[in-house]
Amino acid sequence: MVPDFVYFYVFAVLMLVSAAGIIFAPKMYLSLLSLFFLVIFSSLLYFGLNAVYLSIFQFILCGVCLFVYIFLLLKKIGRLNLGLKLVSRPKIIVSSFFIFIFGLCTCVFFKEEFTNSLFEIFNFVAQKSSDIVAFDLHMFPLHLIILLVLVCAVVIRVFLLSSQNVSLSSDGNSSKGETK
Amino acid sequence: MIDNFLNIGMMHYLIFAFILFLTGLLGVVVSRNLLRIVMSLFILTVSIVLSFLTFGCYCDNSLDNANIISIFILMVSVLQIIMAVVILYKIYQTNEYLDAEKIKDKEN
Repeated sequence: MVPDFVYFYVFAVLMLVSAAGIIFAPKMYLSLLSLFFLVIFSSLLYFGLNAVYLSIFQFILCGVCLFVYIFLLLKKIGRLNLGLKLVSRPKIIVSSFFIFIFGLCTCVFFKEEFTNSLFEIFNFVAQKSSDIVAFDLHMFPLHLIILLVLVCAVVIRVFLLSSQNVSLSSDGNSSKGETK
Repeated sequence: MIDNFLNIGMMHYLIFAFILFLTGLLGVVVSRNLLRIVMSLFILTVSIVLSFLTFGCYCDNSLDNANIISIFILMVSVLQIIMAVVILYKIYQTNEYLDAEKIKDKEN
């Protein structure tokens, strides 16, 4: 068996790399691939937290079914005119600085609160809640989720097909104009 | 000191979820492409689900609750992506680009 810390650090680093790939990838298909890997790695990390149901759900539905479908559509996505520019470099630096400050403030807040009220409240609720949820009774949203994923796939397909038709028809018009 | 790094506990997962949240936030702020902003929002969703599951895993009798809440969050996230893709497609149809700054300039 892999030790816990190896499992955690490997998947944490992989998830961060995937997240960076989503933000900084120069092409849309690379960004989508990074998203796919983020979903897969996060489901494996959930598995390490013993959240088996969610892990399997995310791995099979989001990770495999939906993204295989997106892979099939990658060519069509590549044809769309999707500029992937970031904001200017000074703006990136300033926004990174502010996000760093925000993170620092949040860390200080949690450091103060975890020793006082917030953690105590959460611990109290967790200890006093005696109702054990039967997971089987709450499986009903899964039907809805499967339906939603299928609807999502159909919507993306229909929109991409219609966009392809629009671009083809505009090409046809322009070529006619040229011949005239 | 090394033991803190090697004994993985709740704080490790929460800190990682927070770093992931900040990364997603950076993506939302920095990107100009609307589709990429939607994907960055998904990173935020992943970090929130991770923190839920961490609390669920490390507190007694609440992992099932965390599972259910996380599945609901993912369901809402899928809905959000569907709506976003539809809206972005409409924007793409009218403008033929998905650049947030260009769209803003055009509105001005």
